[in-house]
Amino acid sequence: MSAFAALSAANYKASVRDKTTVFFTFAFPLLFLVVFGLIFQGQEVAGSGRGYIDYIAPGVLSWGVGNAALFGIAFTLMQWRNDDLLRLIRMTPTPLTTVLGARYTGALVIGLVQAVLFVGVALLPMFGLRLADSWPLALPVLLLGVTAFLSMGVVVGSRANTPEAVAAIANSIMVPMAFLSGSFLPIDLMPGWLQNLSRALPLRYMNDGISAALTGSGDLATIGLSSAALAGFTLVFGVLAVKTFRWSNNS
Amino acid sequence: MTTTHATETSTPSSAEPTVPAEAAPAVVLNGVRKRYGDLPAVDGVSLTIRRGEFFGILGPNGAGKTTLIEIMEGLRQADAGTVHVLGMPPWPRNAALLPRLGLQTQKSAFFARLTAREHLATVAALYGLPATAADTALRTVGLTSQADQRVGDLSGGQRQRLAIAGALVHQPDLVFLDEPTAALDAQARRDLWQVLRDLKAQGRTIVYTTHHLDEAESLCDRVAIVVAGSVIALDTPHRLVGAAHAPTRVMVPVGQLSTERAQSLPGVVRVTVEGGSVVLETSTAGPTLAAVGDLVGLDEVQTRTATLEDVYLELTGSEPHS
Ligand SMILES: Nc1ncnc2c1ncn2[C@@H]1O[C@H](COP(=O)(O)OP(=O)(O)OP(=O)(O)O)[C@@H](O)[C@H]1O
Ligand SMILES: [Mg+2]
Repeated sequence: MSAFAALSAANYKASVRDKTTVFFTFAFPLLFLVVFGLIFQGQEVAGSGRGYIDYIAPGVLSWGVGNAALFGIAFTLMQWRNDDLLRLIRMTPTPLTTVLGARYTGALVIGLVQAVLFVGVALLPMFGLRLADSWPLALPVLLLGVTAFLSMGVVVGSRANTPEAVAAIANSIMVPMAFLSGSFLPIDLMPGWLQNLSRALPLRYMNDGISAALTGSGDLATIGLSSAALAGFTLVFGVLAVKTFRWSNNS
Repeated sequence: MTTTHATETSTPSSAEPTVPAEAAPAVVLNGVRKRYGDLPAVDGVSLTIRRGEFFGILGPNGAGKTTLIEIMEGLRQADAGTVHVLGMPPWPRNAALLPRLGLQTQKSAFFARLTAREHLATVAALYGLPATAADTALRTVGLTSQADQRVGDLSGGQRQRLAIAGALVHQPDLVFLDEPTAALDAQARRDLWQVLRDLKAQGRTIVYTTHHLDEAESLCDRVAIVVAGSVIALDTPHRLVGAAHAPTRVMVPVGQLSTERAQSLPGVVRVTVEGGSVVLETSTAGPTLAAVGDLVGLDEVQTRTATLEDVYLELTGSEPHS
């Protein structure tokens, strides 16, 4: 087996055997989707002419995918460094890029499975999401979103030395960002200055791009701008990730 | 198997300034230093470890053994001095060297939530090897029956054996083991000795640290005793013991020989009573034993010659422990 395949298999097994991760990756966002979907069933967001589900489905999807990508890599990096596993990997001829590449591919697959699951549920008649013809364009946005949150996760996982620190840092990034970017509350209901502020956040662009593709809330330009912004965030956090990366806690 | 072996693909693009790699010693250190802040953890170490040698690094806690071994492995950069491993500098990360080195760190590293076999198969794959290499390594350290157990469920000693298996999975020429026998029970320790002796018999070089001096004495071709970052002695255990002139102890059951009489025997430097024996410490065991034999016979007399532990305690005893 190639190193890439073996690492992917190890990642896969470690993930599915960790019930907490499985819950927070799939069930937890689904819970939000179902609860918000049922509360606002059939309702429109005042003044927008769009149903709540058109906001909530792309919003929860983006948040769930971004959250899983960030937490997943941050926890793994912190744990691997604490357990000296990073140093073991460093002592093998397999380059770090292969190791991170396997994680990256795994994160993309998880994001895809999440997307299929969440969209599939939102399409159920009781929630009533209807897909726009542009829905396949959600895929590049999803891919770029996973990439951006993964690079943020590398920074978090390189800085934090304990599981508690990872959880604290990642949550204080993701929870406010989810609310400010309109993942749980339709962005059009927020005051204008908050809407502007949210333009500094990667999740806002992921929401916008996915929503434009899935529900037709925006055009190609919206999707293009979202993709470009996510690529920009990836670049910034990618540089930070390279700068903060550590092979061991004491070097 | 899709990966090609790293050593086949690497072409010697730049000329190595040192001796041809195949003739080079396993490890050559020259004036190696490493500080952590104000603390000189390794303070000017020069030594050569030959191919096929079983080399022990001994010393009190905090002496700098792990730091020294990590510098040899290429996990740490020395502040000063030169390091050559199999003829090549191990720092910066040297991909041509890595498949030939195996290491077990003092803090054992495992992939979370995998079984012992899955973990080793992953490590094997990182070296471009098939999963069968994992089974071989598991058998070598006697973990076959725990192969399907999660790494987190293994006992301390089993985890340690798994870590050692990880160091051997790719059949390296040079194996670094940092306290491999620390958590092992007596039987497992003896089993591991056999594993290590077999490795040596296959021509591999072993560099290892231990706090078990009896073990070092029986396994090592040579040992270096490190105190406060410096090598204060380096030789075969036999010569170290011989050179130390530590006294031999002759033990005679209490009642057969008075302490006053014992004191007057040839070569005796000190007499004590311990655990039901009159203990005669002597610098010349032969004449003392002959005299004891004449007086009380030798049937119930026991002798204990100096061991590496005595030498070690003598050499390290005067140094303050950190
Ligand atoms: N990363 C580090 N930062 C600062 N000091 C360190 C670091 N690693 C080790 N030290 C210090 O350097 C000294 C040597 O440590 P080292 O781990 O090499 O000792 P050792 O001989 O392996 O000890 P032991 O027998 O306990 O394993 C110790 O005083 C230790 O506290
Ligand atoms: Mg140590």
